[in-house]
Amino acid sequence: MLILIAEDDELILRTVEHKLVKEGHEVVLTRNGREAIEKINELDLDLVVTDIMMPFASGIEILSAIKRIGKKIPVIVLSSMGQEEVVVDAFDLGASDFMVKPFSPNELILRIKRLINK
Amino acid sequence: MHHHIELHELILAIVIVLILVLLLIITVLGYSFYSYRILHNRQSWRQIIEYKIMETIVGGDENSDRDLEFAEYLKEPSFRALFLDVLVDSDRKFSGGAKQSINRLFHDFKLEDEAWRKLRHRKAYLVAGGVQELAAMNVESAIPEITAKLNDSRTAVYQEAQYAIVTFKGYEGLGFLDHFDRPLSDWQQLRLLFSIHEIPELSELHVDTWLKSSNDSVVIFTLRLIRKFRLMTFYTEVFNLLDHLSTKVRIQAIRTLQAIENSGTIQQFIQNFDLQPIEVQIEILKAMKIAKSRESEHFLKDQLWNHSQVSIKISAAEVLVVLGEEQYLREISQREDTYDELTQIIKHALQEKKC
Repeated sequence: MLILIAEDDELILRTVEHKLVKEGHEVVLTRNGREAIEKINELDLDLVVTDIMMPFASGIEILSAIKRIGKKIPVIVLSSMGQEEVVVDAFDLGASDFMVKPFSPNELILRIKRLINK
Repeated sequence: MHHHIELHELILAIVIVLILVLLLIITVLGYSFYSYRILHNRQSWRQIIEYKIMETIVGGDENSDRDLEFAEYLKEPSFRALFLDVLVDSDRKFSGGAKQSINRLFHDFKLEDEAWRKLRHRKAYLVAGGVQELAAMNVESAIPEITAKLNDSRTAVYQEAQYAIVTFKGYEGLGFLDHFDRPLSDWQQLRLLFSIHEIPELSELHVDTWLKSSNDSVVIFTLRLIRKFRLMTFYTEVFNLLDHLSTKVRIQAIRTLQAIENSGTIQQFIQNFDLQPIEVQIEILKAMKIAKSRESEHFLKDQLWNHSQVSIKISAAEVLVVLGEEQYLREISQREDTYDELTQIIKHALQEKKC
């Protein structure tokens, strides 16, 4: 499975990447929203994990872009405490699941598995 | 007596000035290079540390060469300090097993000693850092010493100690508020509120004491706490704060009453309105805007026509718009006996709605 991770925190990005690679997935990393939207346009992705707050384009803009181009990709949103309203917006735009930071990478992997197996 | 400057004296002076300028340039360059080295080191060290943390979380391949290299770096005090900083920072990003892995690194590399040293230092910022690190890594044996820091005279220290104690004990950690006589900043209040996830039963005694505190910031914090956890049982005590000496407390009391409102709240706001200063009256109108209760319609029309303050008239018109009274507002704005100011206020309120 080809999974895109959009996250500007290097430690989170690398940790999730290594966990997914260990599970046998192929991973594409982006550190800002604009780059993530480009990758979504270019690649045939199976799943996207995106942070809400990112440079150049937010997770919400990524979800809007996916909706605009009409791709049906499951998206897991990572948010911080106090971003409840943004999470509601994310679900309105088609997010499949969300996790609040601090989060457990193991739980994220389980949620990814569940979405992929759907 | 007039001394003429000789040519050789002038040349000597110029040479001295040039040498001083040159020395200054060398010093600035040297310092810039030193700063660059430190920055460069910190960036590359951060990468090494983050890789170590990631490796521990993922539970990946053991690489003895890299471990040896890491052990070498650890001999450098600045590296250990950065390692501790990054660990504490990482602890806020992860939960579950990953958090435990970070905690294990802290203990395995004996960074606890580092944090204890900071806690016992004389400089306030280091003490605060030590408190933060021991709390983040959940070193419970530090609780007595951190509790003692609650009475420290230095703001950075007692604020960090408050946050740490609440991190360790949750709601029970707020006990320090019983006798706290210094201002609790808005930022500190938010940090504490975020750290409390539940309120145990039989918490009434504390909350009641804090609402009666002579420290306004403690009262305001308690009102925010009541709002966060919707503590309806304190409705009467909160209502009684509407005659508190501080306007800030009254404003927070209005917000809290709105959050824990019952069927009588709007009527109570209406009855209390004339007794309040303008700032509190505006807050009451904001609460009515959120409540969207038709009970307030007549009262709002009365304020729009008769209140002496323009700001209140504007707020009343805005609430009427929210209540769906646009037609009424349009009609009175077109009447010939409506004075210009009121027409402008209504236009403003209707325009706000469009925006």
